[in-house]
Amino acid sequence: MIQVRSVSKSFGKIEAVCDVSFNINKGEIFGILGPNGAGKSTIVNILNTLVKPDRGDVIIDGVNIKGDGDTIKLIMGVVPQEIALYEELTAYENLMFWGGLYNIPKTILRENANKTLDIVDLSYRKNDRIKTFSGGMKRRINIACSLLHNPKILVLDEPTVGVDPQNRNHIFEVIERLHDEGMTIIYTTHYMEEAERFCDKIAIMDVGHIIAFGTLKELREISDAKDLLTIQLADFNNETISAVRSAIPLIRFDSTSKTLEADCENISNEISVITNHIQNAGGVIERIYTRGTNLESIFLKLTGKKLRD
Amino acid sequence: MLKLFKKDLKLFFHDQRSVILTFLLPLILISLFAFAYGGIGQFNGRSQPVNLLVTDLDQSRFSKEIIYKIDSLEDIRIVVSDSKKSKDLVIRGKYACALIIYEGFQDSLEAGNPMPVELVYDRSRETEIGILQQNLISTLISSTSEIMIKKNIEKYLQELFPDDENDISNDIFGTLIKNDKKKEVIKWTPVVGIKNDTRLGLIQAVAGTAILMLLFSVAGVGTSILEEKENGTINRLLYSPLRGSTILYSKMLFAFFISILQLTAMFLFAWLILNMDMSVNIPGLILMIIATSFAVSSLGIFLAAVAKTRQQAQNLSTIIILVMSAIGGSMIPLFIMPPILQKIALLSVNYWGIQGFYDLFWRVLPLKEVLPKIIILISIGLIMTLASIQLFKKRIMKL
Repeated sequence: MIQVRSVSKSFGKIEAVCDVSFNINKGEIFGILGPNGAGKSTIVNILNTLVKPDRGDVIIDGVNIKGDGDTIKLIMGVVPQEIALYEELTAYENLMFWGGLYNIPKTILRENANKTLDIVDLSYRKNDRIKTFSGGMKRRINIACSLLHNPKILVLDEPTVGVDPQNRNHIFEVIERLHDEGMTIIYTTHYMEEAERFCDKIAIMDVGHIIAFGTLKELREISDAKDLLTIQLADFNNETISAVRSAIPLIRFDSTSKTLEADCENISNEISVITNHIQNAGGVIERIYTRGTNLESIFLKLTGKKLRD
Repeated sequence: MLKLFKKDLKLFFHDQRSVILTFLLPLILISLFAFAYGGIGQFNGRSQPVNLLVTDLDQSRFSKEIIYKIDSLEDIRIVVSDSKKSKDLVIRGKYACALIIYEGFQDSLEAGNPMPVELVYDRSRETEIGILQQNLISTLISSTSEIMIKKNIEKYLQELFPDDENDISNDIFGTLIKNDKKKEVIKWTPVVGIKNDTRLGLIQAVAGTAILMLLFSVAGVGTSILEEKENGTINRLLYSPLRGSTILYSKMLFAFFISILQLTAMFLFAWLILNMDMSVNIPGLILMIIATSFAVSSLGIFLAAVAKTRQQAQNLSTIIILVMSAIGGSMIPLFIMPPILQKIALLSVNYWGIQGFYDLFWRVLPLKEVLPKIIILISIGLIMTLASIQLFKKRIMKL
């Protein structure tokens, strides 16, 4: 559905995107993950023809973006990061306005507006002004406004920023419903759990480069990231720590928090071995925390920095 | 473009504050300024008479004769008072000036000595003093001269014909005055502001305030572009098949439309409520409204194009609009400003707009005489529009 080939884009001396390539198949949810300034928005704007790449090609649904930008805009729906709505207008008026920009006949537009209000579960508020909506509701209307022209591809740019858990779930349901209907979705986020939950494929970006690309399983393999076992001790002495370290050389100890940390290939197999070593060395365990391999740890492993740095 | 225009219109009328600021506030200000610059629709196009306090301490035939003559003037209304009270009333600002005729006035006149007359006045009330200066001094001089001449004739005839009656001297004096009045040295003929009944102050109030408020309204429209940029709606518009230029032109069209609507509302108000005669040149008025709206709306958009943020645009607009309106004659009538400021005023949109409306309603000039000002306003609009397009393309319509 989308082929991005060796795309680069600079703004002055800043290289926003550098030699980026990836493919997205029809019906996939493709996640672009990265911290602020990684180049996610530039990629989105290149896909949407608003930014011309300096080098490389982008083919969307068989159309080169260099040739026919208007066709691309009709294929794509973009949900911006900001709540880009007119607060003084009602939800329905907003939908009619934004949909109207795509020259959809009025009768069809009315049907689509009602349908999208149903999708985002806000039909009961259709005649209320946006300014009376909660942040989460606004985000849902923000999504609805991008669906009115029945796009083949939907780009969601950080759609859950500042949204409460209940509305976040509503948004997730919308995304899953659209995915079930076969829509191709590009999802940019820096929330790991969202990318892990939805995305069939993920591109991890940092300073304009794609540093890893694939399914979550493939990314785990690429990054060699491991599960993390954290054990908090009730008390400790130097002999105990030395004994544990001699048994498990790669274990890390932080005396301030009185915690031991170990990277595990398979946490369920290794947890009993490690705890036995600690107890045998005279250590008293207070709490045990486990964390499976996730995008956060993959990103940390690949870049040496946390995603929100 | 029409969809964007309709959306802006809907947003505008949904926002009660904008509607009040655009229409109600200017009408209130016009009314206030109209009152400030003189009575509304009174005196049939003439200035309101100036009240003059008069104290006659001489109580002679001559002093009474002079007071009678002053009282017969159309532009002065006499209020009799005693000398102490007169001064006090002027000091307290109740009256602009007081004429005190001291004891010995008649004797001094007969003896040919300086007249014991004093005019106490408030320096700040220049307009009223100006009217008094023009009328009072000429009346005093002519009246005292007449009295002196009459007195001298009587004296001369009495010496020549001591037995004759006074009738001869009256006959001679009457003939003299009659002949004298026939050959006035200068004929005073007003050529401006006589073809209609609208007062200059009212035209100043309507045109000056209308342009000032118009500038504020369109600056608001201009800033709304930056607001839309900041809240992401401009970017969202760019995601649609719309062109960036369409978005900008729709804003310009909206600003232009609101300007026309606002100016029309203000002139309708001036016509219906303040009795300003609009019928003098309807085509000229329509053209002036269109040209002024175009110039002012383009300036408003230009101010927004220059600024980087909404806050910056608001501050910049306020400063420029206030300065331009002050020097351009929106706040203070241009004809009372020093010559240097009158020259600087040429740089402001306000000047060309106000002068255009003066031409229409005060000078009652034909359309071809007003056209140069209309062309200048349209030229200002075109220059500002072209500059705005370039600036917006560079700074606003980019993601």
